[in-house]
Amino acid sequence: MASTVIGAGITIEGEITTDEDVVVAGTVRGKLSAKEGITIEHGATVDADVAGASLVIAGALTGNVTATERVDLQSGARVIGNVKAARVTIADGAQFKGNVDMDV
Amino acid sequence: MAANVTVIGRTTRVHGRLTGASDLEVQGFVEGEIVVGGDVTVDAQGIVGASVRGRRVIVRGAVKGDLVGEEAVLLQDGARVVGDVRAPRVAIAQGALVRGYVQTGEGDGAPARSARAQSAARPAAARPAAAVHERAAVAARAPAPAASPAPPKVAVKPAAAQERGAAHAASGTNNAGPRRPPPPVVPALKKTKGQIAKKKER
Repeated sequence: MASTVIGAGITIEGEITTDEDVVVAGTVRGKLSAKEGITIEHGATVDADVAGASLVIAGALTGNVTATERVDLQSGARVIGNVKAARVTIADGAQFKGNVDMDV
Repeated sequence: MAANVTVIGRTTRVHGRLTGASDLEVQGFVEGEIVVGGDVTVDAQGIVGASVRGRRVIVRGAVKGDLVGEEAVLLQDGARVVGDVRAPRVAIAQGALVRGYVQTGEGDGAPARSARAQSAARPAAARPAAAVHERAAVAARAPAPAASPAPPKVAVKPAAAQERGAAHAASGTNNAGPRRPPPPVVPALKKTKGQIAKKKER
C-alpha cells in the first residue's frame, strides 16, 4: 500500500486525513489523522493532535496522541502531550511529558 | 540534507498550507496553498484546490487555482486547470485543459498577447517560451469537467496569442512593449474559428 511521505523540507499547516500509512520527516502543524500507521521520524516536528492505528514516534511531538492499537516512543523522541492507546512502549532515551491512558 | 520527495498519497486529504524547499508530489487532495522551492507534480488522481507555486509545476490532474512556476509550468495530458498560469516557460500538451490567463516570459514583460492564431504546428523553437498545441487540446475534449463549452474557447485565445507571440519572436519582431489591448477583429481567426469572433462580441 502506498504511503504518504512528508519529507524533511516540507511544512504542512492544517489538517491531514488519510487512509494509508504516513511517514513524517518534516513539520506538521494542526491535526494528523490516519487509518493505518504513522511514523514520526527523528528530526520531524509535529505540533498536532495525532490519531492513527499504530504510531511510532522518534521525533518531536507536541499534542495528544491517540492510537487504536499501539504507540511506540523510540529513543530520540520528545513527546509533550497525552497518549491514549491500548499498548504503549516508551524506549530508553525517549522524553515524554503527559498522561498515559491505556484504556484500563 | 537530501531533498526528499514529499508524497501526498492517493487517499490523503490535506486542508492547509504546504510550504517547504523540497519536491512535492500530490496524488491525493490538497486544499490549501502550495508554495515550495522544488518541483511540484500533481498526478492524474491529484486534486489541488488552491494556488501552486514551485520551481517547476507539472500537472496531470485537477487544479483549481493559479499555477506559478519559477522555471516552468508543464500541463500534461489529463491536466485540468482552472486558474492563471504564469511561468517563464509554459507547455500545454495535447489533452490538457486550461481555463484562465496564461502568461509566459519574465514577469515584467508585456504578455505576448495579440490575437492572430498561427497553425498549431508552428514550433516555438527560437524562444523556449511556449509549446502550445491548444487547437488539438481544445478540440480533443469538448466536455470539460469544470466548464461549459464557452470557457475553453476563452482559453484558446490567450493560448493562441502566446503562440503567435512566440512565432513573432522567432521572426525577430519583438512583441514586448507597453501593454496594448488586443485588436478587435482578426481576419485569420475569423476565418478559422468562428467562436473567437463570438468571444469578441462578449
